[in-house]
Amino acid sequence: MMRLAALVLLAILAALPVSIRPSSPAVTWLATAALLVGGVGVIAWSVPVVTAAGSLIVIAYALALVIAGPAADPLAATALGATLVLLLALVHFAGRARGAVLGPSVVAAQARQWLAVAGLGAVAAVALTAAAVPLGAALRSTTLPVVVIASALGAVLTVAGVIALVAGEGRGERES
Amino acid sequence: MSWRPTVLNVSLLTVVGWALFLAVLTGRGELAVVAIPAVVALVAGRRAGAPPAWTIHRELSTTRLLEDEHVTVTVTLRAQKAVRLVEVVEPLPPRVGLERGSNHAFLTLRAGRESRFTFELRGAGRQHLRLEGPHLRVWGPLGLAASEARHRAPATVAVYPRPAPIRHLPRPLRTQTFVGNYVSPAQGEGIEPGDIRPFAPGDQIRHVNWRATLKVGALHVTRHHQERNADVVLLLDTLSEVGREGETVVDAAARGAAALAAAYLARKDRVGLIEYGGQPRWVRPGAGRAHLERLLDTLLSASVVFTYVNRDLDLVPPRILPPQALVVALSPLLDRRFVRAATDLAARGFDLLVIAVSPVEAARVALPRSPVTDVAARLWALERRVELDRYRRRGLTIVEWDGVEPLDAALAAVGRRWRRRVVAG
Repeated sequence: MMRLAALVLLAILAALPVSIRPSSPAVTWLATAALLVGGVGVIAWSVPVVTAAGSLIVIAYALALVIAGPAADPLAATALGATLVLLLALVHFAGRARGAVLGPSVVAAQARQWLAVAGLGAVAAVALTAAAVPLGAALRSTTLPVVVIASALGAVLTVAGVIALVAGEGRGERES
Repeated sequence: MSWRPTVLNVSLLTVVGWALFLAVLTGRGELAVVAIPAVVALVAGRRAGAPPAWTIHRELSTTRLLEDEHVTVTVTLRAQKAVRLVEVVEPLPPRVGLERGSNHAFLTLRAGRESRFTFELRGAGRQHLRLEGPHLRVWGPLGLAASEARHRAPATVAVYPRPAPIRHLPRPLRTQTFVGNYVSPAQGEGIEPGDIRPFAPGDQIRHVNWRATLKVGALHVTRHHQERNADVVLLLDTLSEVGREGETVVDAAARGAAALAAAYLARKDRVGLIEYGGQPRWVRPGAGRAHLERLLDTLLSASVVFTYVNRDLDLVPPRILPPQALVVALSPLLDRRFVRAATDLAARGFDLLVIAVSPVEAARVALPRSPVTDVAARLWALERRVELDRYRRRGLTIVEWDGVEPLDAALAAVGRRWRRRVVAG
């Protein structure tokens, strides 16, 4: 059951970049490769392999956006991000629970939690996108290099912050 | 207990990294939006709170069982506050089979409520089945953090060798003074009719043989054979072993010894045990159910302890090895010291039967199957046959047993050519 759910999520993820630019062979090949790699990962319940498939899907999505150049669609991007989180969480849990006895209501409780976090992520994405619209208008007069540098800095700081958050727990544990 | 990040953090960070990198590279804002749910999940995973306090209790249905019997393990958890996901694993020792359920479970705990799971284990082969205690892992939100602990509750289940039924028991040459199942040549109280002799004062009327009395014209009485028991000493060779763990010749010999002990004790005989090895141990001959458990306990811990010391059976006190006893030796006959000890016993007039547990099959099973292995096993079997014939010429009575087929079958074959008249002790 969990394997079927993971495969459905993977298929949705792989279909998203193709739906933007169906006629592009590069996007189709990348999406197919992601589907195959992800399928292997789901069958083996391997989080690293599914992560690789997820990365391929993000690359295919970026490629489709660059080739097709459609109008900005934050909802599709939010759906892609939330589905990716769901898939990774599902594969991680199913890999741990392989061969184990699952108590009553364990799967239901997990599904509720995953959906809550994915929903929270989607809401945050929509809220941030909505906040970015007036910010973009305000920055329209600013030169492009400044925007790019600020975005890159923001991205680096975000990643660094998340790494610090995650690593902080382990460091605290070692010190105690 | 404290939280530790899991591998899922690395996965989400990878996705975030790719999305942001590509967003900067392509200048498409949607790619940055793709990263937002993953970042939110990473932040949400941090909000795990303090690890919950819990109590765990593990219960075993029994602490003693025979080979291939089952023991039910019940693990009960209780937490003061609700725990969304807790993983419990009870590590299993190598020679234990999982018969029903799983030793690995995921549970959801409600505040103050108990949650439990059970599984059944099968003890394969004699052993002290030792369970160290369950490992616990409490999962944080979304599986991004986990807190691990180990509940140390060592418990041991004794898995005794299973005594297989034996119908063709080797009969002892000499009987003892206690009541048993062997018809002794000595006359006295019993059921089996013996000689007829003239009546003497003190004879009971119920023993009068009226047919002889009428024929001869004088009172005659029928005498009876006494029913006596015997002393049996099982001599277990633990000087050498061959085979895979749990399937060695010592394991087979211990299983055979358990079967013999149970069968002789059922016939009211007294049974003793001598473990002849690096650390000799013995159990004085005795009878009864409690004594069988004592013997099984000793057989359970019988193992090979390497030594160069040559121990002599002369050192064994006569109360452990009575001169009138039937000695049944179980050995692969691989160590010269045991062969010498057995030959000495036979030369000293002990009623000795050697059950030679074949090491060939045990070695064959332990090795990967190949034509070379088969040829080597056949050659070894031939060499062994020659060697056993040489021991027979020295006066040893040897029964060959491969350790796999029932011991009763091997003893039935020898019983036909080894019938003896019981001599009064």
